[in-house]
Amino acid sequence: MKLKREWIGYGLTVPAFVWLCITVVLPLMMMFYFSFMSRMPIGNAAATFSLKQYASFFQRDFYRFLTWRSIMLGVHVTFFCVLIGYPAALVLARAVKGRWRDAILLLVVLPFWSNALIRIFAWTMVLRTDGLMDQALHFLLPGAPSIGVLYSYPAVVIGLVHSFVPYMILTCYVSLQAIDDSLIEAGQSLGGSGLTVFRRIILPLSLPGLLVGVVLIFIPVVGSFMEPRILGGREGIMLGTVIEDQFTEVFNWPLGAALSFILLGVVAIIFAAAYPLLKNRLKVA
Amino acid sequence: MLKIRNFSYGYLICLLAFIYVPIFVMMAMGFNESSDYELPFRFSLIWYQQLAGNDVLWRAGSNSVVLAVASTMVATVIGTMAALAMARHRMRGHAILQILLFPPMAVPWLILATSMLIFFYYSGIGRGLHAMLLAHVALSLPYVIIVVGARLQSFGADLEDASATLGANPWQTFSRVTLPVIAPGVAAAGLFAFGISFDQFVTSYFLAPPGVTTLPVEIYASIRKGFTPEINAISTIIIVGSMLLLAIVSKFYQFGGSK
Amino acid sequence: MSSVDIRQVTKTYGDVHALDKVSLTFAEGEFFGLLGPSGSGKTTLLRSIAGFVNPTGGQILVDGTDISHIPTHKRDIGMVFQNYALFPHMAVFDNIAYPLAVRRVASAEINLRVNKILELVQLGGYGSRRPRELSGGQQQRVALARALVSRPRVLLLDEPLGALDKNLRQQMQIELRQIQREVGITTILVTHDQEEALTLSDRIAIFRKGEVVQVGRPDDVYENPRDAFAAEFFGSTNFLKGKSLGKQGVLGAVELSDGTRILTSYALPSSGSPITLTVRPEKVLIQGEGQAVTDQGTSLNVLSATVIQPVYMGASVTYQLSTSPADFSVFQQNREAKRFEAGASVKISWLPQHTVVLDA
Repeated sequence: MKLKREWIGYGLTVPAFVWLCITVVLPLMMMFYFSFMSRMPIGNAAATFSLKQYASFFQRDFYRFLTWRSIMLGVHVTFFCVLIGYPAALVLARAVKGRWRDAILLLVVLPFWSNALIRIFAWTMVLRTDGLMDQALHFLLPGAPSIGVLYSYPAVVIGLVHSFVPYMILTCYVSLQAIDDSLIEAGQSLGGSGLTVFRRIILPLSLPGLLVGVVLIFIPVVGSFMEPRILGGREGIMLGTVIEDQFTEVFNWPLGAALSFILLGVVAIIFAAAYPLLKNRLKVA
Repeated sequence: MLKIRNFSYGYLICLLAFIYVPIFVMMAMGFNESSDYELPFRFSLIWYQQLAGNDVLWRAGSNSVVLAVASTMVATVIGTMAALAMARHRMRGHAILQILLFPPMAVPWLILATSMLIFFYYSGIGRGLHAMLLAHVALSLPYVIIVVGARLQSFGADLEDASATLGANPWQTFSRVTLPVIAPGVAAAGLFAFGISFDQFVTSYFLAPPGVTTLPVEIYASIRKGFTPEINAISTIIIVGSMLLLAIVSKFYQFGGSK
Repeated sequence: MSSVDIRQVTKTYGDVHALDKVSLTFAEGEFFGLLGPSGSGKTTLLRSIAGFVNPTGGQILVDGTDISHIPTHKRDIGMVFQNYALFPHMAVFDNIAYPLAVRRVASAEINLRVNKILELVQLGGYGSRRPRELSGGQQQRVALARALVSRPRVLLLDEPLGALDKNLRQQMQIELRQIQREVGITTILVTHDQEEALTLSDRIAIFRKGEVVQVGRPDDVYENPRDAFAAEFFGSTNFLKGKSLGKQGVLGAVELSDGTRILTSYALPSSGSPITLTVRPEKVLIQGEGQAVTDQGTSLNVLSATVIQPVYMGASVTYQLSTSPADFSVFQQNREAKRFEAGASVKISWLPQHTVVLDA
């Protein structure tokens, strides 16, 4: 009987396991293998083992510059998401009650559910020269210079923050609303001012949610390519867009593979470096 | 206190404006006669009429729907199976599966998509709708397993144990107790899976062979070629449709995760 | 009605013995309480009988048949869980009908039997309610009805009253006992609440670290605990340490560390061996210093004591006392007008048959 139960347990997971092997494990392994090829293996042109692709990253400033740009994009977008999202979650969790809270939460989630590409596209109409922002400005201040920022770095940041801020609101909201009111009352009764209670009680207890939000935002932003392309134009060249090019325009898959693993490696290093700092704090929750 | 409250609501209104203004602008432009979004605004349905005759977009749309439905069914079924096994049959192998759930969430989709392109191309799986289905299900699985798993966790094994003591065999326990109890979680997971597939741009983009597209891939191509208000029209339809769907669903399913 | 025989049942998790060669027999129609602190193995034994736990060794027999390898759903048991485990998606009627429905009983008969048992648990008319619309006590009755409706051979109760508040718990104890008598089913109760075990059980077993310390009728275990653990776990008590002086006349005598001699009617080990005695607080009489000790005179145990603190509890007063051999706690019915204040000098006395000699 015990044996049978065990077999059921394994049997139920087999499909998911096989599926993830075919779509995640084997592809990533093959991509890793590809990143050590000297060239694209097409026809009878033989590819040999080579560190050339990785070497080009270290030889050419261009790739290192782009990697830095992608990381900074991740930092900027994540920063603004925290700046905008955390207060919103705090207000929703602690100041707004009842039906309003549910309604606003739903409104925050709704667009998040609709197509990301379309939302990025929508910004082009707001940000472009003579777009909504310009029109509004000229209506108030006729003759003012154009403030259209489409095809610039700020446009990319605005679009990505718009795309990802709901993640931050949701993860922070979940951990903020789980804080027991009595803890905050206890903090106040012990003489803590509003700011002290926030700093010593609310912030530490909601930190796990905040960090989950940071991870959920930082990783996809660092690897983004569609948003920088549409909103950044030539200013939107990132490591992601260069990787995209290797697969869709240049057909240098080994280089694309190597750049992908460099990107993964950099992200892994960042989180590995941050982990010891955060480990103790996360134990609270 | 009143001041804090007013400030709170003011802040939330600004936030909602930030979230919704671009969307409303885009929707409005779909009804503007000018193809270059010129103002003053002149109402017109011309772009919707053109959309009605755009076979490429319609084919892309039907591909998206078929793919999303298929991906939802597959991901929900095998994800629920895995969640059940992980919640109720503790065993060593599950740690490996748990680790495998991370990459679809923790690796940028760009990298997953391009690695699948390489693997599928050289393994003979090739590109096309079937390849997209493989990818969409893989990206949905972690969410399905997490959502269904949370539901299973919140009930513990007591209900199933009780069912067994009352004489129900494992199949009866599953169909009469486990499944009805986790149904809201499964439905929510299915909704997630549908959303992930229907919105899926990155993997579809890399796995689409020439001539086969989905809506997001087609929209991206159009945007890169140059603006066309037809895209506003189809985008408006998609956004309104998906928001309506979610609004209806949220009537039946509470977000905060309460029972 | 069935008897259950536990033979040498062992369950190990790694190095930990959750159950260590436990043997017990539950007689037909008996209400049997398994009592012990958490982690003592009582729940593991109950879950082994239910089939949720596979014992590492030993046998579980119901009416002489080994059920160790029969899956739970074929064991023909009824079980009430601590949190009731009512199916939230079914009405009360469907919850109770469940064991009949999965056994493919005809719906007319299901109707009959469910309604009958709803009456038995005093929930007639509640059939269409959802479990969450019921109070804790009502949910408990639904769980009981559901466990009994298929007329199982054994009823297992896992801390069934633990989630109820005190008044309701006492009321439910009485009801539970009545229903069990009426149905006449062999019932095994797991509890850490000694009062619950005392009120409900025909016999009890006290568990400690995977072993059975003592089995017997509740009053017998209470009056004659076998060792310090049983004495202390089942009610509060006082301990005295000393060494045996052997038999002196009809009674045995024990010398405590300070030289005091204590008499007991219990059998003693050979002279000189160290020994632990226990005296229940309510067996001890407390009197003022000057009052004459008025009982059968010579064979009474008498000690001088000082009140450390009286704990007034309405119907009774418990005195914390210090005596020269040990601290003492004494229970007094709130009948006498006189109460002693802290610091008062008093005399305490008890009969030799209340000096229980414990296993070392």
